[in-house]
Amino acid sequence: MITTLTQSQILGFSNVTVRIKNEARDSRPILEAIGLQLERGETLGIVGGSGSGKSTLLRLAAGVLTPGLVLDQGEVTTVGKNLLVATPAERSNIYGSVVALVAQSIGESLTPHLTVLSHFRDTVSGEAVDERVLESLAEVGLGGEKYPYRYPHQLSGGERQRVLLALALVRSPQLLLLDEPTSALDVSIGSEVLTTIDRLQRSRGFALVCVSHDLGVVSQISKRIAVMNQGRIVELGQTSQVLRSPSHEYTKALVSSIPKLDQRIRESSSQSNETVLVCRGLGIVRGQTTRAIDSLDLEIKQGEVVGIIGESGSGKSSLLAAICGLIPLTSGSLKNGDGYDLSTALHLRPSKILSSIQMVFQNPDDSLNPARTVEQSLSRYTHATKTQICEALNSVGLGEEFLSRRPREMSGGEKQRAAIARALLANPQLLLLDEVTSALDVTVQAAVLTTLADLQRTRNMSIIIVSHDIALVASFADKIIVLRNGKLIEQGSVSAITKSPADSYTQHLMMLSAQRSLT
Amino acid sequence: MKNLARRVVFSLATFIALAVVSFVGVDALPGDGCTALLGRFGTDAKIDACRKENNLNDSVVVRLKDWSGDLVRGDLGYSIKRDEQVSEIIIPRLRNTAVMAAVAALIAFPSAIVVGLLLGRYPRKLISKAVNQFSVIAMTLPEFVIATVLWLVLSIWIPIFPGVSVMPSNASLLQLLPNVWLPALTLAVVIFAHSMRTMRASVTNVQNMPFVESARLRGTNERKMIKRHIVPAALPPVVNVVALDGAWLLTGTFVTEAAFNFQGLGRLAIDAISDRDTALILPIILFGLAVYLVSSILADSLVRVFDPRLRSSNR
Amino acid sequence: MKTLVRFNFLKNRALIFSVLGFHAFVALLAPYLRLSSTDSQDSAALLQGPSLNHWLGTDSLGRDVFSRLLHGGRPSLVIAFAATAISCLIGIVIGSIAALAGGWIDEALSRVIDFMLALPTLILLLLISSFFGQDPLILSVALGLMYASPIARVARSATQTLLARDFIRVARLQGGSRISILFGEVLPNVWRVMFTEVAMQFTWILLAFSSLSFLGLGASPPTPEWGLMIAESRSYMTLNPLLVIAPIMMLASLVLAIQAMVDHE
Repeated sequence: MITTLTQSQILGFSNVTVRIKNEARDSRPILEAIGLQLERGETLGIVGGSGSGKSTLLRLAAGVLTPGLVLDQGEVTTVGKNLLVATPAERSNIYGSVVALVAQSIGESLTPHLTVLSHFRDTVSGEAVDERVLESLAEVGLGGEKYPYRYPHQLSGGERQRVLLALALVRSPQLLLLDEPTSALDVSIGSEVLTTIDRLQRSRGFALVCVSHDLGVVSQISKRIAVMNQGRIVELGQTSQVLRSPSHEYTKALVSSIPKLDQRIRESSSQSNETVLVCRGLGIVRGQTTRAIDSLDLEIKQGEVVGIIGESGSGKSSLLAAICGLIPLTSGSLKNGDGYDLSTALHLRPSKILSSIQMVFQNPDDSLNPARTVEQSLSRYTHATKTQICEALNSVGLGEEFLSRRPREMSGGEKQRAAIARALLANPQLLLLDEVTSALDVTVQAAVLTTLADLQRTRNMSIIIVSHDIALVASFADKIIVLRNGKLIEQGSVSAITKSPADSYTQHLMMLSAQRSLT
Repeated sequence: MKNLARRVVFSLATFIALAVVSFVGVDALPGDGCTALLGRFGTDAKIDACRKENNLNDSVVVRLKDWSGDLVRGDLGYSIKRDEQVSEIIIPRLRNTAVMAAVAALIAFPSAIVVGLLLGRYPRKLISKAVNQFSVIAMTLPEFVIATVLWLVLSIWIPIFPGVSVMPSNASLLQLLPNVWLPALTLAVVIFAHSMRTMRASVTNVQNMPFVESARLRGTNERKMIKRHIVPAALPPVVNVVALDGAWLLTGTFVTEAAFNFQGLGRLAIDAISDRDTALILPIILFGLAVYLVSSILADSLVRVFDPRLRSSNR
Repeated sequence: MKTLVRFNFLKNRALIFSVLGFHAFVALLAPYLRLSSTDSQDSAALLQGPSLNHWLGTDSLGRDVFSRLLHGGRPSLVIAFAATAISCLIGIVIGSIAALAGGWIDEALSRVIDFMLALPTLILLLLISSFFGQDPLILSVALGLMYASPIARVARSATQTLLARDFIRVARLQGGSRISILFGEVLPNVWRVMFTEVAMQFTWILLAFSSLSFLGLGASPPTPEWGLMIAESRSYMTLNPLLVIAPIMMLASLVLAIQAMVDHE
């Protein structure tokens, strides 16, 4: 059954429900009653948190169903065919030439032992292969003679994503499917990649479906948007319409959760004049030669919240690690408010000093010992009593039932809250937060930040919050520090920095942020 | 290139150090060539005379110097007990073991890699489970059990091959061949399972990597997938196993050679140790060390061919 | 034939545990069962097939095969347990200390481990047992020392992986001492991986000793030991094949059961 070119619908889902194999009828399906149509040349974005089913939906469009899942009802038609029942040979013919899927590339999506050019040779043959490849690469912004002969490990994240794009588009497919195209990239790099995708879509006219957890990403390249929650499409419509006046509860929560530069999550507090941390000329060298931090000066007062903005390679994580004593400084001085030298090794510090600085890490899956219950993890080194633990859990919004839970039974947000509670039990003067919400859905992020704001107020803690998201930092902190390649670019109050950023790098970050939060 | 040179130098240094340690160690063992020769019949006088004749009364250092000097010139020494030059004892047996090792390698490695690839790529069929069970059994059973079972089946019940051999060590290649098959087959069974399972696990591992799905979703056909993407990525661990087991085929086959009375290096080693013939034991140990070190270097160099990330030092 | 393959021997837990149980029973209780003596030779009844008196027949010296069979695992099992215990103790301690300490201590210990791994174990074993008599104590210690290094290597890499994880960093921030972290955080997460390695080591040591016995350098006659029994009876296989098949079955079933149990974990 060959599709006729006159048919304008290129992708269709009719009442599709997908479940886990052999699961009970009444459990929640992965996808429920999905219905949507896409015309030729149209662009559609799909937004949702983790567990919303968006990736499964995208892969269904390519005729791929994860083993272990089963199509309970409904039909998926891609370019007129039902790809789920096609033979491997038929699918092989369609992939790349008619439909292309660029999967989420958290790991290696490019074959490590093949050059860029060799990747193209999989599917492109004939006389002028090399020229076609050069053309394709130039179109995605990788012009020049050197790229075809590079190996994947010699390319940066952004370059790899562009190569994947070129590979997908080289045979001019009619439908391009993108799964989280920028999640693994820095904000500025990601933005450039999105611009390229947008340009290519306008010039070549293929249909595009883009899946992301990030509303800003999706809104940049798609005219229509579908919002997904728990396996259902809760809202579907023109992007501008949905963003300006969302109708569904979930969409409203999603839109309002996105940090915006001019919207405070936390009110600035008045600070005392007592200092909590003093850094002079701080330098950190990692490995043999990498200068992670280059001569930094920093002062934090009691009750002050300092936000550090930096992309990858800025040295932000190294800075936090040095402040709490996990890695040594190579130069400069680091003292607390009473003059105690914080470059002393951890095992030499008295316990009062140790507990005065605590840190919460980025990855919720790594923060808690998988072999322990929450109660055990929280009490082991703090020696807190059960009552104290319950209090701490309550203050982060977790009930008593979490005492006996193990990490594998908890969601990302719950694990982060438990990690925060554990840090609080040590009663710190200074709390370090290293991208603690980056791995969480944006709605969960908003809730955790609200909790943190309350905690800061009631305990008058000093906080250093590190993020790549300038809007998040601007809505939470009192003072902002911008880091780039280990150097302090700019420092000042939130209003000063956001209203009139002095450095061009800061201005660039502000512009990107404005783009993404749709203001 | 620089890295390779550094490794060779380091391995050479290790070899020399271990050679000295081995010499001193073997020398420290109770008895020497003269007690081995005379055995129970040695009176003190006879042993003394023998030692004087063979310079065994010199200090360790002097003997070490003499020995290493000889070694560098290619003279492997003299066995008092057998009254023969060591090189004449060792070389024919080395040839026999090498032939046996080559046959075993040719039987085992290619088939292991192919079977491993097929099982890894198409795991659901019944035959896959059967081969899997067989290979676990083959891997766990000790060498002498496999040797005995094969002997039982292929020499006694179905008389295809000769069993325990009675050929002399310097038999011609033609005379050698009928006696090679059973020992080689035993060794092949022992190493087949290891390489096959490594290849299978590696293929399974590689298949789950994002780049494989990425290639498939671009429309790459099955043949190209296997040839260009999966096999090169899966080979590095297998190369290591082949090098390790290959080295073992030359140096570790005592039990099989004993079981079939095959006159190879392994059989010689056991005899030499039972005889306390120190002059013979030492060169055999050194040969083993040399093979191990060389195969290590070869393996690392080969792995670099398959994984560009290990080649240069950029990024 | 199909059903034979379908019934995956190696995955059936009941089968594995009954085989292991049987072996444990036999190994522990053989001396207390009312069996014929393993040493009494009956020159009138050499190489007989199975009979009422001798359930599995007699060997070339007229000894009862059945009784020798049931006693045959004990020598190697004793040595295997002893050597494994020694190698575990040394290996885990060295490996985790190397990973925890880092720096030059780690470098030095790693070199030692690599060096020990390069040693040709079988030759050394042959040498030791040939020159120092076939004393089970010496053999156990030698085996324990030699096989400590693979365990040390696994312990070190497992500990290193763990130390990079965030919850360990938090433990340090909250004042956990290195010892307390080792026992409280590292070991509970590492024991699974270690268990597999230790079980494999146990099997190897068991087989190494059996192989030594086969070569005449392990258990000494007249001790009943499976490897030795196989070596002694090979020439008489045509007369009483049970002489060889029975010990093979015992050894094979024990080793396979252990391997299958490990694969299950």
